[in-house]
Amino acid sequence: MARFSGFGVTFKQMFKPRITGFYPKEKREKPERFHGRHVLNRYEDGMEKCIGCELCAGVCPAKCIYVRGADNSPDSPVSPGERFGFVYEINYLRCIHCDMCVEACPTEAITETKLFEFSFANRADAIYTKEELLVDDEGRAKRQPWELWLGGEDDKTSAWMRATSSSGDADYEGRVNWSGELGFGVREPEQGQSL
Amino acid sequence: MKDEREIVTVTIDGIEMQAPKGELLIRVAQDNGTFVPRFCWHERMKPVGMCRMCLVEVEGVRGMPPACTTTVTDGMVVNTKSETVKKAQDGVLEFLLINHPLDCPVCDRGGECPLQDQTLAFGPGESRYVEEKRHFEKPIPISELVLLDRERCIQCSRCTRFADEIAGDRLIDFGERGGEMQVITYPDDPFTSYFSGNTVQVCPVGALTAKPYRFRARPWDLSAVETSCQTCSVGCRGSLESSSNELVRLLGVDVEPVNHGWLCDKGRFGYEATHAEDRARNPMIRRDGSLVECSWPEALDAAAEGIKRSLDLHGPASIAMVGGSRGTNEDAYLWARLAKGVIGTDNVDAQIGDGLPAEVVLGLPGATIPDLDEAAAIILLGPDLKEELPVLYLRVRRACVDLGVPILDVSAVDHGLSKYASATIRHLPGEQASAAREISAALAPLIDGRSGPIVVVLGRSDVATSAEPTVAAAAIIREIPNTRFLVALRRGNVRGAIDLGLAPGFLPGRVTLDAGAERFVAAWGSAPAEVGLDTAGIFNAASEGRIGALILVGADIVNDFPDRRLVRAGVGGAGFVICINATVTEAAADADVFLPATVWGEKAGTTTNLEGRISRVGRKIAAVGNPMPDFRIASELALRLGTDFDLETVEEIQDEIARVAPAFAEVDAQLLKRARDGVVLPLALHRDELVLEPRRIPVIDFSWEPIKPEGPGEFEVVEFEVVEPVLEADASDEAAAEEESALPVDISNGAGLPDAQLFVWSAQHAAQPTPGRDNYALRLSAGRSLYDNGRTVASTPALRALIPAQTLRVNPSEISRVGVADGESVRVSTARGSLVLSLTGDANVPAGVAVMPFNIGETGVGDLVDVSLVVTDLRLETLR
Amino acid sequence: MAFTPENLLLANEIVARYPKTKSAILPLAHLAQDQDGYLTQDAMREIAGMIGVTPAEVLGTCSFYTMFKRDEVGRLVVSVCTNVTCLVMGGPEVLEHLEQRYASDKEVTIEEVECLAACGNAPAMQVNYEFHESLTPGSATEIIEAYKAGELTARGVSGGVAGGGQG
Repeated sequence: MARFSGFGVTFKQMFKPRITGFYPKEKREKPERFHGRHVLNRYEDGMEKCIGCELCAGVCPAKCIYVRGADNSPDSPVSPGERFGFVYEINYLRCIHCDMCVEACPTEAITETKLFEFSFANRADAIYTKEELLVDDEGRAKRQPWELWLGGEDDKTSAWMRATSSSGDADYEGRVNWSGELGFGVREPEQGQSL
Repeated sequence: MKDEREIVTVTIDGIEMQAPKGELLIRVAQDNGTFVPRFCWHERMKPVGMCRMCLVEVEGVRGMPPACTTTVTDGMVVNTKSETVKKAQDGVLEFLLINHPLDCPVCDRGGECPLQDQTLAFGPGESRYVEEKRHFEKPIPISELVLLDRERCIQCSRCTRFADEIAGDRLIDFGERGGEMQVITYPDDPFTSYFSGNTVQVCPVGALTAKPYRFRARPWDLSAVETSCQTCSVGCRGSLESSSNELVRLLGVDVEPVNHGWLCDKGRFGYEATHAEDRARNPMIRRDGSLVECSWPEALDAAAEGIKRSLDLHGPASIAMVGGSRGTNEDAYLWARLAKGVIGTDNVDAQIGDGLPAEVVLGLPGATIPDLDEAAAIILLGPDLKEELPVLYLRVRRACVDLGVPILDVSAVDHGLSKYASATIRHLPGEQASAAREISAALAPLIDGRSGPIVVVLGRSDVATSAEPTVAAAAIIREIPNTRFLVALRRGNVRGAIDLGLAPGFLPGRVTLDAGAERFVAAWGSAPAEVGLDTAGIFNAASEGRIGALILVGADIVNDFPDRRLVRAGVGGAGFVICINATVTEAAADADVFLPATVWGEKAGTTTNLEGRISRVGRKIAAVGNPMPDFRIASELALRLGTDFDLETVEEIQDEIARVAPAFAEVDAQLLKRARDGVVLPLALHRDELVLEPRRIPVIDFSWEPIKPEGPGEFEVVEFEVVEPVLEADASDEAAAEEESALPVDISNGAGLPDAQLFVWSAQHAAQPTPGRDNYALRLSAGRSLYDNGRTVASTPALRALIPAQTLRVNPSEISRVGVADGESVRVSTARGSLVLSLTGDANVPAGVAVMPFNIGETGVGDLVDVSLVVTDLRLETLR
Repeated sequence: MAFTPENLLLANEIVARYPKTKSAILPLAHLAQDQDGYLTQDAMREIAGMIGVTPAEVLGTCSFYTMFKRDEVGRLVVSVCTNVTCLVMGGPEVLEHLEQRYASDKEVTIEEVECLAACGNAPAMQVNYEFHESLTPGSATEIIEAYKAGELTARGVSGGVAGGGQG
């Protein structure tokens, strides 16, 4: 009879719902605070939020961020104020996606997306420059040829920033303390952040 | 200076401490390890009590006095940490932050800001102020180098006090006092002080920022090395900082005997020249008439071949070496050893025709910079210190203004320190000797019972007059009792180069060829016998075809030598020219071999300042391309000429210098590493000035300190043995030397080498009469201006714009005599050549004298001076 | 504008009065203001040269005092008080009226000032530092017109201390 008990397992599984997904054509919802690759945000008027202050580079435990600031020209400023991020590079061979940079950023310029499916054929490609990191004119992450993601996956780009706003102070539950983003406007506060 | 004040006992936070009576409470607390927060108080400036940050409680005193204006008295009981004090500090910081913008992320000071640090350490944490802050237009330039952000200013008055008290250029002041108080400059009168960069360094917030550093880096991505500036020969200590292998700034480090923490703007911002576009990256050799890049072995072989050919054909005297005053001591020593020990020529001169003979530099009794403070009087007979040695100017000014030392000014024209002089002797350029004869009489009323040495700042006041009159004057002044000399040569390490034998007639360690022959033959194997030529002599010989190989070490010779025609003829006439430099200069373009060298910041070693103080320079960045340090180039050339120096590291060279060069006895790598403020030569006379412990830093955990103490692992702490060196052969020493000579010669110890007597100048000088000036001629005085066409300035974008326009300044009476308008161009002719120059009237210029700075503009003084003449007389004619 | 030859003599006399020449900044600035109607940049530069300080120091000192005018003012400087008592008694109305009335009159400069210490008869104003009290917009205008017509004699814009009179 032992030989039939094996089939028993087979038949039992045949009628259970299937959990294998059609990845990569279909993807599962990612957790709210999932850490993917970064984007550099812009204000609703298109100005860059990054002011090149290097706080992200200073706080990065993996030392994977390289930033250089420069003077904004008064006639065609890149960001509001005196200074803008002239060079911004993140080396994804080093980044551990801890999001300390996002917490350190005084202008919410750098946030993390949910995008994580990318691989490189050489080391130089692993260094994302401002060209790759800066959001496009719709405020969405720029898709790189070596990145695999579907439309709509780039909607959520700033959850961690919203969760950690005002140092996680419970008094700020549900309060918006950030500026609007190009393409998305002022984002809703994340719910239950002090729980 | 000896502190002879009464000692009192004070109690600060329950700890009893001793302090001299009348000392400031804030300093006493700091020296004993209690840090009282402050913004306006600065170690080197007078206290004002403006910021109210240092309020403390003193028992028995009503209210809270500021620690920076309170002096200690016996039995004083002070509390710096009580609740009341804490509340006062909270209040002061809250008030300061009412109008201080929180733009720290874009502020250059952010991360090393006293306001940030002290707010964190002593502040209230939160502000109750919710109203709109004061707004001003964001940074406005107050000079070519400094930007002012009035919103950030906390009105501590450090910058205005620096400009007034220290620099004496009160071009900034507070204006609109009241609610709108701000630092102002006069309209159209920018803050053009040569010391403006110091205000940026002392600003406790980011109100003053330096243009060259603006947004270049943040404090946390900087790494620093303590070093000595080599822009001029004062040798100011600084902290050289880089980010991503790029020099981004130099901050002054407070060194009591030298710079008190100040730097001039040329030194502070000159690091930019290191990254100049035109830096040579690879060696070059001449092929088919033009210089082409090649490999190092090719270039070195070609250079050695050129030297060897001349050596074989015409002997060692056919080879000459010019320059070497911009490198380190180690570079200078190996160049000297290459030239004098390997090639065997004495045609070696580090000075480029604008200095003084080595006998005068080495043979006069030396003064140190701190001697200025204790001097009975200071005699100025030399260059305009403000233009040529700016931080020495600050020290002389301080000695005069703060310490009351009288100044006797002996000069041809007014200069930066003239207005501080108690007595003045004016002379025509070239008449220094007759002026020197009047000094004794003029000095007597100034000294008037004051004790201390008479410090003479001696130098060439201009390059249009030969060294001869200054030498004659030095011989006369030498006769005045109790005189000591600060020889004011200009280039970074010119003193070190001369000390180490890059001068005709001398061997390393301040000995003459004769006195040192035996010692150096023993150490090196050979030494030149005949005294060689100086730079002018070398170019004369070269232009007559008597120099087979000319080695130019790191000098822009065409622009720096006073006589351009002679240099061009010399370089053109030399058989084979090897040029070692950081950039391809005009002379280098004619070279047969060009070897690229590293510069300051790219190599470690030591440098010697004008006092003879040896201090370490640090390596901060790696050079881009393939340049090599000079000492390595010299070693490689020596190897190809058959001598292996077997010296691989800077420390090994330092140890060999200590062993071989008599004046450097005991000054080995270990001592150089440990001597905090450097070592003044000769050590025997300055041993008690050595400071061997690390620098004291008031608060090491605050981020604004430019240097951090070196870790204990940095150097081995060995008790320094006080051994009297055998320097001069007196009777008892001779006996000792005889004993030693019985021992086998031990080359690892300098004692095994034959003694050599240090050179002392006899000051026997037969003064040559200076030719008279005829009434139609003007005598040229060509000093230097701080910003000139030299490489440091010309390659530094921030400073280039500050080079003044070229003009010939004369007394207004001369302008009317010639019959032209002020500012009009005239033809200026000398025995050497003629130029068209604009003429400016200046009542401060005496009649009969014409003033024009050297090395400004495409053509200039260099085209008018004939170095074979003692003075340069010129005639003016109208173009009409 | 630099000092006229007569004023230059006077200026040198003023400088000679003080053991420290720097003390002469204020009297010289008054002299310059009386001469030119306001303190010109050239004047400040000349003063600096005369007493051996930098122009920035002269500007720093003079900019503290509101009675030194560094921009051109009219022949009549009218200072209207709007501090507490005058505020209650109608000072702002007087000010507004005068500002409108004389907006394009180059001869009259209206300025708002803090308490003139004439609270007893508020609202108050000064015309070239001569007091006029218990004003209405109408009476204030009349007074100014009287000055303009020469019926009332105005002092200098420095308040009549020309020549360093207080020295």
